[in-house]
Amino acid sequence: MDNRYYLDTFRITIPQLEMLTGTALGNGGSWADLYFEYSTYSELMLRDGDVTSGGFHTDYGAGIRTLNGEKTGYAYSESTGMKELTEAAKAASMIALSQRQFTPQSVRSLESAGLYPMSSPWRQADLAGFIPFLKSLEKKIRSRDSRVLKVMARLAASQSDIMMFNSSGELACDTRPCGSIVVSVIFSQGGKTESKSVSRSFRMGTEMVTEALADDMAADAVAGIDERFDARRPKGGQMPVVMGAGASGILLHEAMGHAFEADFNRKGQSVFSGRIGEKVCSTDISIVDDGTVRGNRGACNFDDEGVAGQKTWMVKDGILNSYLHDRISASWFKTAPTGNGRRESFRFHPIPRMRATYMENGTTPPEDIISSVKKGIYVDEFSNGQVKIGEGDFTFFVKSGRLIRNGRLGAPVKDINIIGNGPRALADIIAVGNDLKIDNGTWTCGKDQNVPVSCGIPTVLVKNLTVGGE
Amino acid sequence: MKNMTGQDSWQSAGIITETEAEAAAGCIRTALNAGASQIRVSLDKSIIDSFALLNGELDKVTHAADRSVCLYIFANGRYGTFSTNVFEKELLQEFVKKAVRATGLLAEDRFRRLPDSGRTAKDALKGDEAGLYDRSRHHMTPGQRLKSAMSGTIYSECRQDAMKTAKGAEYSIISEECEYSDSIDDNITMDSQGFLGRHIETSFGYTSEITVGTPDCGLFSGYWWDSSPFKSGLRIEGCSETALKRAIRQVGPERCSSGKYNMVVDSSVSSRLVSPIVSALNAMAIQQHNSFLADSLGKKIFPEGLTLEDKARTPGRPGSRFYDSEGVATEDSPVISRGTVMEYFINTYMSGKTGMQPTTEGISRPVLRSYMPNNGLQSAEKEISLQDMLKCCEDGIYVCGFNGGNCNPTTGDFSYGIEGFVFRHGEIAAPVREMLITGNMIRLWNSLIAAGSDARKCTRWQIPSLAFCDVDFSA
Repeated sequence: MDNRYYLDTFRITIPQLEMLTGTALGNGGSWADLYFEYSTYSELMLRDGDVTSGGFHTDYGAGIRTLNGEKTGYAYSESTGMKELTEAAKAASMIALSQRQFTPQSVRSLESAGLYPMSSPWRQADLAGFIPFLKSLEKKIRSRDSRVLKVMARLAASQSDIMMFNSSGELACDTRPCGSIVVSVIFSQGGKTESKSVSRSFRMGTEMVTEALADDMAADAVAGIDERFDARRPKGGQMPVVMGAGASGILLHEAMGHAFEADFNRKGQSVFSGRIGEKVCSTDISIVDDGTVRGNRGACNFDDEGVAGQKTWMVKDGILNSYLHDRISASWFKTAPTGNGRRESFRFHPIPRMRATYMENGTTPPEDIISSVKKGIYVDEFSNGQVKIGEGDFTFFVKSGRLIRNGRLGAPVKDINIIGNGPRALADIIAVGNDLKIDNGTWTCGKDQNVPVSCGIPTVLVKNLTVGGE
Repeated sequence: MKNMTGQDSWQSAGIITETEAEAAAGCIRTALNAGASQIRVSLDKSIIDSFALLNGELDKVTHAADRSVCLYIFANGRYGTFSTNVFEKELLQEFVKKAVRATGLLAEDRFRRLPDSGRTAKDALKGDEAGLYDRSRHHMTPGQRLKSAMSGTIYSECRQDAMKTAKGAEYSIISEECEYSDSIDDNITMDSQGFLGRHIETSFGYTSEITVGTPDCGLFSGYWWDSSPFKSGLRIEGCSETALKRAIRQVGPERCSSGKYNMVVDSSVSSRLVSPIVSALNAMAIQQHNSFLADSLGKKIFPEGLTLEDKARTPGRPGSRFYDSEGVATEDSPVISRGTVMEYFINTYMSGKTGMQPTTEGISRPVLRSYMPNNGLQSAEKEISLQDMLKCCEDGIYVCGFNGGNCNPTTGDFSYGIEGFVFRHGEIAAPVREMLITGNMIRLWNSLIAAGSDARKCTRWQIPSLAFCDVDFSA
């Protein structure tokens, strides 16, 4: 879609955008930007065998930000009328008080990388058309395991039209789809119950909803249930931990990624502050935050400051290579923004956030990594991770895993936590597998605001972590 | 002309305008005309202003003003939820008509309906009945907000290159982040059976987070806050001092071995151990076989010392609310009484699905009663302080924060990361970190030794410090 569509959607003109930018800089700020959003959301919920609830929601408005160096003034309006937007611009301008004059720049439209395949847009789709998919998904799950007691399945989809304009005269427009399917299954066996959730999410149109996806999710939903019923909480202590490929990447996001976000580093609050160029782990390890994975939940044609999506190496060959920057931190560190300035909606100002965070492939076959461990634990599914940015301490709840005895996977384990320290765990990675997998679950990062992200990792061996058990 | 509340104007209080309220009422008419059999409309509007400081200087000013209308549509046994923030009359009418059409496409569910009108609140019409509305918020100026924000910073007076803790460890302040904010939330809920409720709530808050560094590159952060529905109730002074104390007392952590310890949980985080119980009492979790408290109603599952009440109708206290999201009147009620489960949270839909009598959708203002068995440490009339509890336990681990973890909703098995302090002979000895507690929620609560009377008045969940024996710690 060309820029005309977005200007029409928000009922505004280029001269009005320039006028609002001038108002936002009326008190002498150093930078101003405008962020317009029109989002539609739709959802369907299957419960007790039928799709008995659903709905749709719309959200519309614009946020205006004035920067005065690193200081931020921010206001927004749920109307894009000039009166309301001018009031918001004036409120944002309060952060500055100088004689600096705003000089309008010539307007330039930025090219989109086209990272979101969308042959069939969600906004035009008939919601009822997805009811058969959810019913088919339930049927496939029940047909695979007679112990299934309850199935809850939810399909949620959004489509956001975004238009950004800034005091450099840059105009960036983007239409962002996001489709998500989450299924929760309760199993019953011998009076005991166990639950499992599986999700998929993509920046794609309705074409992502296929029978193949239902087959894939149904297989995942029942996988490993025998082990869950048999699983026990193991004896705790310090031991080697093998992280399985894929969803274990949430550990990278929580335990390392947040500490690379440049707002924490600008304020000296991160355990990685002031350490650019230092060797922080094995030279076999490279960790990236990538906004360019086509169709991925963390993909960004532009971030929410109009900076093009890009791939950023936080750690390259064991060396701390880059923080994750928005415009404020990039200016402070005198470097280029990395496209990590993201926000939940027009109601929030952007801050450094991750996109798709993963470790690049190593060279070791995963089976060799497991066979190298005499006594330890293998984990492949985490939830409820949390990290203390300054101290670097992290905790993750293990949803599924197995003991490792003499190089072989043994008894299943559950309901335990793994606890450690981010930089120390990173330095303690002694093997990296060649099986990188990016997990396409509905990962959402909640640093002050919610934004969609994804994560991934190849199989890795951490030589020592604390495992909480009996 | 009087409106539906009998007031001269919708705008006599709060921030929802007469036009907005009439637009919401118009949604009911439009939906019924379009074929809906019943509808509930919830109109929410809020304004938040905040001034944030970094190292004693203004860093961020934000102004946020939101409004939305949510529609809960029941049409021929079908049910859908819809929301929008677009209030232009014609667009809103089109939205409602489209919503009714979309509802008709869903499967029939005979249990979906509005609550019986006899159960809805009749006494929340003006919005200030819960006593949480401070009208002085309307007169706050940017200058006053900035002054409030600046009044809580201690950065300039505490910033020295090297300071020492009480134990002689060196530290310096790396950063101080303070934020003053005030807000007003205004809700009008109405339905096609004639229910009308209004709830207006103001809030004034101050937060402070201080990070200190040690010569060996260790970083430790401490956080504290205060809030009140009333400007006069906000205590800004002391927030940053407490945040600093909480940061520096973590300097020099000890390694602690795994084992069973007494555990005292600070009142600032103790609600973490109550929320799994509240979740497990929700009828949805029970109906979906996803609750470790299924079949527990009327049974003594917990120890004598656990009494949890919903004190929803305590005007002037955070969390006070006269109607739930269905419009059902709240009431003060026992949830767990001396260990016996007294109530499930059952909304109209779940009542139909389970055949149980409906109650309310959830807990509004949980209050956990203090408890200490007669052990000579104090009389029943005396307040039970944190110090009393540490003395009662003598030795153990005092938990001041949870770091990640989970509670399995179907079994109650939990595992949480913790941070805090070792205490010996009733006195705090040294900080600990990188520790975990594991166990089962029902067994944990059955090891309750004492519950204090030190719940923070500024919080909605009134949960005091808690003491347990023989808790499994891993380190």
